[in-house]
Amino acid sequence: MDPKRIAALEGRIAGYDVNNCGQFRELIEAYALGALDAEEGTAFEAHLATGCKDCAQAVEEARWLVNQLAYLAPSAAPSDMLKARLMQTVRAEARAAQGSAQPKAGIPLWMWAGVAALLVLTMYSAWDARRLQKEIQTVNESAAAEFRQREQLQQELAVAKRQAHILTDANSKKFAMWPHDTQMPKLEAMWHPELGICVMGQKVPMPSSNRTLQLWLIPKAPGSKPMPSLTFWPDAEGKLVLMVENPPDVMADTKALAITEEPAGGSPQPTSAPMWVGGLS
Amino acid sequence: MFLAVLTPKDSSEVSPDAMLVHQLLQRDVDAFEQLYDRHSRIVYALVLRIVQQASTAEEVVQDVFLQLWRNASRYDTRRGPFIPWLMAVARNRALDHLRLKSERQRRREDQTEELPPVIGFPQFEKALDDKRRAERVRAVMGALNPQQKKVIELAYFEGLSHTEIAETLKEPLGTVKSWIRNGLLRLKEGLQATT
Repeated sequence: MDPKRIAALEGRIAGYDVNNCGQFRELIEAYALGALDAEEGTAFEAHLATGCKDCAQAVEEARWLVNQLAYLAPSAAPSDMLKARLMQTVRAEARAAQGSAQPKAGIPLWMWAGVAALLVLTMYSAWDARRLQKEIQTVNESAAAEFRQREQLQQELAVAKRQAHILTDANSKKFAMWPHDTQMPKLEAMWHPELGICVMGQKVPMPSSNRTLQLWLIPKAPGSKPMPSLTFWPDAEGKLVLMVENPPDVMADTKALAITEEPAGGSPQPTSAPMWVGGLS
Repeated sequence: MFLAVLTPKDSSEVSPDAMLVHQLLQRDVDAFEQLYDRHSRIVYALVLRIVQQASTAEEVVQDVFLQLWRNASRYDTRRGPFIPWLMAVARNRALDHLRLKSERQRRREDQTEELPPVIGFPQFEKALDDKRRAERVRAVMGALNPQQKKVIELAYFEGLSHTEIAETLKEPLGTVKSWIRNGLLRLKEGLQATT
């Protein structure tokens, strides 16, 4: 077995019996002075750990005595700078401690500044949002207007294409519509069995106010009443272009086309003599 | 062996230092400044005696008092007077500065800076101020055998052990141990005799 282990089991450290108080009396002053060697110090502390009150009290007295040795040091005073540095550090730490310990009753200035900045940002954001909304609305309205215009153009194009087709297709039947008043211009009509009727004219007079022109289809069957069709007006320059879609089989049953002047909104039956008539031959 | 007359510390009496230390717990800067003004000279003198350099001494003193400010709770008034505790802290800090990593520094680090419980202190020291205390200690130590004074100063101001002192002075280890013990005993007798 290791000799040190044996010694420990026997309560012996560095040759000292830790249970023998008398062995340590001579070490008390040196222990208080911190002058014991490592093993001696360990042995002495082991002895104190046994609860020896006499040695413990003696150590206390010796420590007090050792502390008196500090007065052997020659008188000297630290610089004023040392105190200044020290007080600066202490005051800063005291302020920091007070700042963290203070209750939250008061709102610090930096927090008010933060709230104000947030408020400004919020208000700006709201104003900016409204501005953007207006811009979006304007853009949408413009887009809608352009869309409607595009649709109108597309419709006009479709009408124009239809008209062009009617006018140029070999299956279209062309006939004149003669005016009742010789002072009135002659109109020309093109009737395509599938695409419909196109009536055109120049220098057509504008009907009276609250009046409109109306197209009629005169059936071949005897005693049949005229079939009402579209109402229309010429443009400001007197140009007339009328497009009428009709079922394919209407043309075969129609004897003539007639145009009368009717009240605004049209009539179920002619209320005046035809201003133009054109027979399909 | 002379035994100091120990009387239980009057629990109703609170020393000015103890009151000031208690105020440190409330982060009282004025209390700290008072403690510094009262004890910085003796602390600085001790530290300077150990480290032998004014700039280093001021660093150590600053460290000691900042430790006091930040860890005032470590000092318990029930454990004894404030000054011995403060001086023990200062001495240990100075000795740490004096040595680098070594066996002797390890021994210092093993020793706690806190004093063990002290029931009281010799009654004859109660009324002394620092100046009178210093005069008395110097007078008594001056009356010691020069070898005794030398070994005590080597142990206290330089932190040397028995063995190191013996090697330094080239004296037998037993002789050094005897000089230390007898010298401190005479110091005790001398302080008691001059009351």
